[in-house]
Order: sequence, then C-alpha cells, then structure tokens
Amino acid sequence: MARLNDDAQWIILMGFLVSFGLFFLALIINQSTVVGQTTAESVVEFPKNDIRDIRHVIKEHAENNGVINDRVHHDIINISIQRKGAVVNYTLNTQYYQRLDAYNHSLIHYNNGVTTYSENWTSN
Amino acid sequence: MNDGGQLYTIEGVAAGLIMLLTAYMVVGATSMYTPGDAHISDMQLEVLGSDALMMMDTPPNSSFPSPLQQIIENDPVDGGRFRSMFMNYTNVSGYGPKHDIQFFASYTYEADATIMSAPINSSRNLTGGEHAVRATKWVTVNKRLPPGPFPPENRAVLVEVLLWRD
Amino acid sequence: MIDERGNLSIDFLIGFTVFMLAFIWVASMVSGIMVGLQSSHIDYDAVAYRTGVILVEDPGWPASPPWEFYGDDQKYEISRFGLAMSKNTPGILSQDKVNRFFCSSFIYPDDYHSRAIFGDYPYHFNISVLDGESVKGQSAGDVLPDGYGYIRRLVKIKEGSNATIGTALINKFHLNNTENVTTHDFSVLIDNTKLQGNMRNPVYQIDTVREQIIINITDLRSTIKEFNPDIDHPLGIDRDTSIITLQSIAVKKLEGGVLSTVRSYDRPYIDGKSTVTAPPCGVNDNVSLIINPRVFDIMQSGYAKIYINYTFTVLPDSTFLNNTNARAQPFDYNYFKENVTQPRLRDAVVEVAVW
Repeated sequence: MARLNDDAQWIILMGFLVSFGLFFLALIINQSTVVGQTTAESVVEFPKNDIRDIRHVIKEHAENNGVINDRVHHDIINISIQRKGAVVNYTLNTQYYQRLDAYNHSLIHYNNGVTTYSENWTSN
Repeated sequence: MNDGGQLYTIEGVAAGLIMLLTAYMVVGATSMYTPGDAHISDMQLEVLGSDALMMMDTPPNSSFPSPLQQIIENDPVDGGRFRSMFMNYTNVSGYGPKHDIQFFASYTYEADATIMSAPINSSRNLTGGEHAVRATKWVTVNKRLPPGPFPPENRAVLVEVLLWRD
Repeated sequence: MIDERGNLSIDFLIGFTVFMLAFIWVASMVSGIMVGLQSSHIDYDAVAYRTGVILVEDPGWPASPPWEFYGDDQKYEISRFGLAMSKNTPGILSQDKVNRFFCSSFIYPDDYHSRAIFGDYPYHFNISVLDGESVKGQSAGDVLPDGYGYIRRLVKIKEGSNATIGTALINKFHLNNTENVTTHDFSVLIDNTKLQGNMRNPVYQIDTVREQIIINITDLRSTIKEFNPDIDHPLGIDRDTSIITLQSIAVKKLEGGVLSTVRSYDRPYIDGKSTVTAPPCGVNDNVSLIINPRVFDIMQSGYAKIYINYTFTVLPDSTFLNNTNARAQPFDYNYFKENVTQPRLRDAVVEVAVW
C-alpha cells in the first residue's frame, strides 16, 4: 500500500502545541486578576463603615443648623483627606416650605481612591 | 470488505483520547494558591472595633449626648471612662473565644490649618511591633479646640483607635 | 498525479475532530476545577461574616409588615431573616425580631439555612445572641466543635414600649368616673401623627407599624367605690364581690375628622393568663393587650389617630375605670415617661459560628 504523505505532520503538531500553550497561559493570566485578593481583604478594603460614618456626621451637621464653610465643614473635609485619605465634598441647603417648617438637603460626594459614593440626601 | 483503514482510524481515536487525558491532567495540575487566612483576623478586629465605637456613640435615649461625645467634651478628656467602656465592649465573650485585645485611642482635630492628635487612653504603650488595625468614628462635639480659655463651639473630631491582639 | 504533500489523512482528521470537541468541553469546565482548591476553612469565616451582616444590618424580608409577626403557617413567606430594626438603623436590633428568630417554629438547619446562611454547601452553624444586661443567651444550631469560622458583632437591642395603667395613673389622670352606672367605656389614644412627629430618630421612636406595644390595665377593682348598705344601695357595694365583665374592645380610627370603628379586637390577656380570651368575658383585676403591627397595618393607619375603646359592665352599678366623661381625656400613649415606659436600648452580642 502506498504510504500516506505525512510530511506536514510536524508543522501542524508544533502549531497545535503552540496554540495550546497560548491557551494555557491565557487561562493563568485570566485567573491572576482575582488571585491573591481574599474575601477578608475585600471586606476591609470596601469603606462601608467610613461611608456610613461620614453620612451620619454630615446629617448631624445639617441638623445642628450648619452651613458650608463653617468650622465643622472644614473639619470634616480636612481631617478626611489627611487622616482617612478620602476626598469628601458636600453641600447643605435648607428649604423652607412653610413658615416654620424646613427640610435639609445635602449632596454628598466621597472618594477614597478606590471607591466613590454620591448621595442626594433629604431630611423629612 | 476492505478493512485496511481500521488501524489508522483506531490510531486516530486513540491518539485523540490520549491527548484529551493529558490535557486534562495538565490543566488540573495547575493551581494558583491564594494564602487565604492572612487577613481574616484583621477583618474581624476591624469589625469589632467599629462596632464598639458605634455602640459608644449611641445615646441611651434621645435627650442625652452619647457617651463618646461626653468623653471627648469633658475637660480633660475622660480617658478612664473610655477605657472601661471600650474594653468592656471588645472583651465581652459570649459563647465564642475569649479575647485579649489591646488598644490605643486618640482623637484628631484641626487647629490653624494643621491636624493635631490628642491621646485619649491606651491599654499599654505601643512598642511598634504590633500588627494593629485602625477603627475610626466621627464625633460632633461642643468644645474649644485646641483647649483654651474661649467658649466652646461645634466641632467635628475623628476618634481613632488602634487595636491589636497580643 | 495529484500532489498529496501537505494533506492530512482522514483518520487523523477524525481523531483530531473528536479530540477538539472533547477538549473544548473540558476547557469550559476548567473553572469548576478551581472550586476544589479553595480550602473550606477560608470559606467558613467569610460565610460567618456574611451571615453576621445579614442578621445585624438588615431588617429581613418581608420588612413591612414585619416578618416576625407572620404566624407559623406563613413561615414559607419569610424569604430572609434580619434582626435590625430597619435598613437605616444597622446595629440596632428589634426585640420582637430576636424573640421570633429563636422560636421553636424554625427548625435547624433547614429553616435557618435557606433564610440566613444561603449557599449550596450544607454548613453547620450556630447563631447566638447574648444579652449584656441579663447575661442570658439564646442560640440556634449545633454545639461548637474545635475549629470553626467566626464573627462577633456588637449590637443594641431596642425594647418595645409599654404602658401600665394602675392606681397611680388612674388617680393622676382621674380615669374613673364618679356616678354609679352599669356600662363603662375606657379609651386609649395612639396618636401616630404625634408619635412620628415628636421623635424623628427612629431608634427612639414608638413606631406602631414596626414594633408591638403593650397596654396593661391593672387595679381594676380599686376603681370601684365601696358603699355600706343604705337607702341608695340596699345591698351595699363591695369591691371584692362586684362582677366585672369585659364586653368588647373596639378599635376606632379618627381620620379627616371622621371617627369610624375599624374592627373589634378579640385577643386580650385576662388576669395574667397565658392565652387570650375573647370578649365578652369575666375579669378579675387586669386586662393586657399586646398589639402587633399587623393590626395597624391592616388599618392603613400610619398617620391616623387610633382609639382603643374598652367597654366594661359592672354589677351592681358602681363607679369604675371610665374616661368618656368630660373630666378625663383618652389615655395618651405618648413620650412622657411617667405615662409610658419608653423604648430602651440594651447592649448585646451576636455571634455566628460556621463549620
């Protein structure tokens, strides 16, 4: 029986080897983005308590009849950037809808370099 | 029937199966290890510290200032009360493991465009070798900062507590 | 002659096709291989932390009407447990939710797994709440083994409010009448508008839509004025022998200036019994109502004034607890601590262990 012409086998085999090797490396690189980040690290990194705390102190500032650029406003913004590494920016508005009734309104922005948070808060 | 090609077909199928098995074993042997538990105790400590500070900043009823506010507004700062409340919160044991948590507490305020830090209390002095986590809480106080002869005003200070296990 | 150099033989092609199909199938399952690598010990702490957050920082689902007031037959409508008072008050737990969570109607592990732990893996767990003041604990789950994942959360538990109307308050507010009649009406006012408006902070608020309130009326016999036998009272009036009957309890709503009777309430606890007795029924000395939010929710009465109206009959005719005359106002369930025991916060510890 005539022999099959198998001259190209080596080239094709090497081609497959290279492509499988590339596939394998791609898999490893894909996994590398999440490796090393444990659940506990993600929990510590996400600033849940920081954001809740900032909202709470800004609400207290609003309820204590605060205004922008007063002492407490500067305290919060400066200490935040220096000690917490987070940029905090907020506005305070008081809307009067009846003579003695008012509600407070605040636009809050928080950014600690990894997580940003924005809120439009109204008291009732 | 000419069955001369059977050998080649069987050869092809066998080769395919061998390659399949090899590929599976190779991929199954790769493992990317994540050192899993390095940060768990940090996370647990940080959650505990934040919880303790939040409990201290919740007044028992609405007409009172919170204990943490009272501690900072006191002149001088009531470190003894902070220490007993805080250690009570962090070392209460429930059914779980007993803790032996040390802390170093201070509060930060702004004075003349610089940030100043004043100590509240600590369970022992820092030697620098502790693996500590930091828990913080914002507190609004009515106090003159830096302390001086002038009347008090509304300020916001950041209470910072370093916690570690010996 | 055809030039066959470079052609692939058919058997090779077939083998290769089979191989590629199988390889693609295996490759798509590669991500599943990594699951086996994760040590379950790392996982336990993460699951414990997640369960801790779900219980301590979330009110559960359904949140309104609150899941803790669903009966045992409706427990499959509860999709998630949560002990916090509301979404805006993490770390402040509701006493009603804590009590219901540890009720024996929920069975370990299935009921808790599908509502607090989640996930496919059948974890063992133990959830406990230790009260700081009474140093008493409640727990659900298995006994702790040697190694487990763990989280501890510090919380405050908000106790509900309650009012006890006894001799002191009856005398202070003149809650009894002065004439001898048979039928006496006594009403309690729950002014939701004022309750919501006078205290904005939900942590200290009396919120009838979220927590239950308790109204105790005691010292009923002391409101009967005694008489020796005389012309007006041939047999005399003796407090110990008078027959007191609670005829009915009506719940009325004042909305838009219109007072309407919404329903009658038939679950009072008479004389300290552990089960309810529907009126009309005999009463010795006290009547307690434990009104849960479903009563208010059904009435859509978030901001209305609610009157709870008790109707008593006393034989022989005498004075009694009665505030329908002009002298006395309905008893106001409000924020004065002399009238109503206010909601209070107590320290507690929640621990979740998973293994």
